[in-house]
Amino acid sequence: MIERFIHAVAVEDPGPEEPAQTRDRLRDLFPPGATRRMTQLGLVIGGVLHPLDPRETDAIVYASTHAETRALEAYLASFPNASPMLFQTSIHPSAVQQVLIAWERPVGQFFPLAGRLQIVAHAVQTALLASGSRSILCGGEERKPVLLGQGAGSAITFAFALALTPDPAGALGALALAGGGAPDGRLLLCDFFAAVRDRRPLRQAAAPGLELILSWT
Amino acid sequence: MADALLVRLKQLIVDTLKLDDLRADQIPDDEPLIGSGLNLDSIDALELVVQLEREFGIKIRSSEETRAILSSVAHLAAYVRAHAPPEKLLPLP
Amino acid sequence: MAPPDSQPLRLRATGCRTALGDARATCAGLLLGRRALELLPVLGSEGGDPVPLAPLPGRNLMETAPPAWLSCLDELAAEIPPAPWGSARHPVFVTSSNFGVGSLYAVQRTGDPRHFATGMPFATVEFIGARLGWGTNVTVVSHACVSAHVGLLLAERGLRAGLADRALVFSFDFISPFVTGGFHALKILNGGMPAPFSARATGSIGLGDGAAFAVLELGQGGYRLSAQATHNEMHHFTGNRPDGAGFATCLAPVAAAAAGRRLWIKGHGTGTLEAGRLESVTLASVFPGAPLVSWKGSLGHTLGSCGLVELAVAIAALDSGRTPGTIAAEPPCFTDTVAIAPFANGGFDGVVLASNAFGGAHAACLLSHD
Repeated sequence: MIERFIHAVAVEDPGPEEPAQTRDRLRDLFPPGATRRMTQLGLVIGGVLHPLDPRETDAIVYASTHAETRALEAYLASFPNASPMLFQTSIHPSAVQQVLIAWERPVGQFFPLAGRLQIVAHAVQTALLASGSRSILCGGEERKPVLLGQGAGSAITFAFALALTPDPAGALGALALAGGGAPDGRLLLCDFFAAVRDRRPLRQAAAPGLELILSWT
Repeated sequence: MADALLVRLKQLIVDTLKLDDLRADQIPDDEPLIGSGLNLDSIDALELVVQLEREFGIKIRSSEETRAILSSVAHLAAYVRAHAPPEKLLPLP
Repeated sequence: MAPPDSQPLRLRATGCRTALGDARATCAGLLLGRRALELLPVLGSEGGDPVPLAPLPGRNLMETAPPAWLSCLDELAAEIPPAPWGSARHPVFVTSSNFGVGSLYAVQRTGDPRHFATGMPFATVEFIGARLGWGTNVTVVSHACVSAHVGLLLAERGLRAGLADRALVFSFDFISPFVTGGFHALKILNGGMPAPFSARATGSIGLGDGAAFAVLELGQGGYRLSAQATHNEMHHFTGNRPDGAGFATCLAPVAAAAAGRRLWIKGHGTGTLEAGRLESVTLASVFPGAPLVSWKGSLGHTLGSCGLVELAVAIAALDSGRTPGTIAAEPPCFTDTVAIAPFANGGFDGVVLASNAFGGAHAACLLSHD
């Protein structure tokens, strides 16, 4: 089993809030003028990273299944005069980059993951295997349930961030991966977020050979 | 009397880049647009270029040319006057 | 047996596809000075300014449903040593910058819902995995043009943690109007042919199709990745710190691992000016005298696949005994270490491979061999 201990947790659960409202609510976390180009996903990711105070020595793992769906759709709509800003913003892992560039915070290890059914297991594995004393596991989606009229987008906006270290002293909880588990293990990002938000324990097969164990003290 | 093209360009900058905290008349004529007190960067510059090309029918070829043209609003106005078709320079209705 | 964290990381197999063919054909073409890039309309069949592109032969930028590039992946996958890929002990790391985003462009242009099956990254990977018979232990890495390096690093960590017996890193990026339109809007895909590391008045890039794989395991012999490193400046989306510190920070651990070796360097070198200057000057400082090449002047920038495509080509170059030079580079170059012509590589015992990406992301690795 590989395990790390949770020393900080932050969540953003803004409900049906529109991007403009999110911008008004979170603008003070960023330098003046920075939020005019930020997406809702970037803003809520900033909302959860801010209290964790990312440092250059951290490993940051970022997971998002749908990523910048609004920017992506707006970029496509800008053709034939393609918008360079929307192109830039629509490329994964824009959300974390929007935040850390606004704060001018370099980071040595940054691992952005996409995927769907096993994204949580693989993001957790990446965070647990990162070198260095602290990993930040973060992720989120922005609400855009119908992309290009075809469905497939997130029904809710959310974000989470966990600071993980090898030190159990004073921990809020623990996050571990154990071997075994069903070969068709899966865990969606939104379900992991809900467990973190509600401080619920989790124990389930999250990928082939990987059982995820989330516990709280 | 203010140069009508300068006024138009300044409003285009505010509108295109969503500079909600700035009025067009607060943009200086002769200061650099990029890397100055306006806090605009190269992506803002390129976004402006897309709008300038669409509105004035000009063609800017490279990121190096972009930097040179946007060295100030006055410089931009001179470039637009020199390269835009005359009908694109008529006042907007 | 030595513990996993001290065993060498071996490249059991590598392969690639570019507009010039497989790894061996690509290397041979580069050695002959062939340039795959040609001036094509930026929006494919929808027209637009002519820009340097290198799609796979016969491939139209406008995506079909299913995508025409799937046959390229089928061919490439046939070279992968058989294993229960995607099972618990045989993880797959799929790395790309754009995945099937060309299909999203096609949805938007045509309204044909069939394109959506491969539009989102997860959908593209699930589609490919099912087609190639993989299990679901597939990590999807999306970090723009350093994606392949990140996949290699995550694969190594899984192996050293004892979580896998072998790992497959599978990387691809196929150009589409979504991507070409975007880089054209950034004014760096601008009709000029790229000349990597050349001190010109205007910087230009080209874009190309690319796909590659690497099978990694712990063990002795053959080609090895002896060091891997990353760094993310988070200074600006499209620019680097002007002092080059971001490049140097990433290269430092690789330089330490390479001490005492005679090296050549495969740089990122897309053809942009400022990044090219910073990269070549920093590489010359960290690895004095090491000849520097980039192949993007021929192949174009293959985006998220470039790290693995160019690793496969580097291995083909080592097998052939000659390293292709920096095609289309024009003197004066930013440093005198830029190798414009091909050179014999038999006297070297290591290769540093570096890639960079938006956000000031940097990645580098040391390829060593017996």
